[in-house]
Amino acid sequence: MNANDWLRALTAELHQRRVAADAARHVVAEAATHLRDGGGDPWVVFGPPQQYAGAIVESIGTAPGPRPGPVRLHATGITKRYGRRTVLRDATLTVRGGQIAAVIGANGCGKSTFLRICAGLLSPDAGAVTVSGRLSYCPQSGGTADFLLPDEHFVLVGAGQGMARGPARRAGRAAARQLGWEADGNVPARHLSGGTRQKLNLTMSTLSKPDVLLLDEPYQGFDQGSYVNFWDQLSRLRDTGTAVVVVTHLLNQLDRVDTVLDLTPAQETGWRAPGVQGGHQ
Amino acid sequence: MLDICVLALLAEQESYGYQLAQALDAVGVGPIQGGTLYPVLLRLQKTGLVTAEWREGTAGPARKYYRLTDHGHTALREGGRAWLSFVAPVNDIVTKGVAR
Repeated sequence: MNANDWLRALTAELHQRRVAADAARHVVAEAATHLRDGGGDPWVVFGPPQQYAGAIVESIGTAPGPRPGPVRLHATGITKRYGRRTVLRDATLTVRGGQIAAVIGANGCGKSTFLRICAGLLSPDAGAVTVSGRLSYCPQSGGTADFLLPDEHFVLVGAGQGMARGPARRAGRAAARQLGWEADGNVPARHLSGGTRQKLNLTMSTLSKPDVLLLDEPYQGFDQGSYVNFWDQLSRLRDTGTAVVVVTHLLNQLDRVDTVLDLTPAQETGWRAPGVQGGHQ
Repeated sequence: MLDICVLALLAEQESYGYQLAQALDAVGVGPIQGGTLYPVLLRLQKTGLVTAEWREGTAGPARKYYRLTDHGHTALREGGRAWLSFVAPVNDIVTKGVAR
């Protein structure tokens, strides 16, 4: 990792920790100046980007978070049975605009089912979902059309909103770039790698400027850089007032979310992080 | 302790991070890495003991210059006295101990 990579990583870390944009820019510029003056390995001079960002937050604090907006998604008492097996029991989640909610839990505990119910693709056996505004859903896989180019996907999604081809293509490519992907290639979806196809999927789900964005582990096949871009992108969407719900099994990202729904049956964990909303009670 | 040293150096003249690091090293406080120094400077700035301004130096690129405020001068006097009254007896004890 060279100095520029380190500075980029620091920028991302400060952003994630909600350091005020202005202050963050000064911190990064000052570190860059110092490295230019003195040389040296930023990992030695400043330490790991995460650690330095943490020290900065301790010194200057964070910007007051944007006030959470109106409730965008309210799922209450969601119960779902397949035959005799109860997959979800009384799961409840409320997400406001400008918040990220993580849905966590072991494999097979109903995370994807819960998200599909929120998306209206599946009916619960009990409970209700209220959505306010435009909803977008990004499935774990699928959702792309094998024989279409990325551009043609963007045009297709744009057409659904009455957008002309040119602007739709540009919007798609710009959104893809946020994920570190140049989507102007002439490769149909079926020849894209798994990770790139997921980027296409994810890009499409953000194009309609949704008020509620449901993401079902959309980062499978992402390399480390793409994964960082993905969480940066989520932060940006949150800051523009989107209510984001993301299914994840990677607990190391939980400090970056506003609320957590743990669907692991209670007898299996007994542990509840602060701020965790009710799953199986 | 680093806070007091930085305030004392800035009482002599305004300075920027890298220059302060070099000055601290030169007087024997030791090499202070940027990761330690800048959080201190930012805290001093936040508490109003120093002000900062991005400015082009006589040579080289723009740098963030720190300058002591009146509040900072007061903090330096008070903190400096407290520090001296702490190290004086420690010095005495250690000096005697080493001489024995």
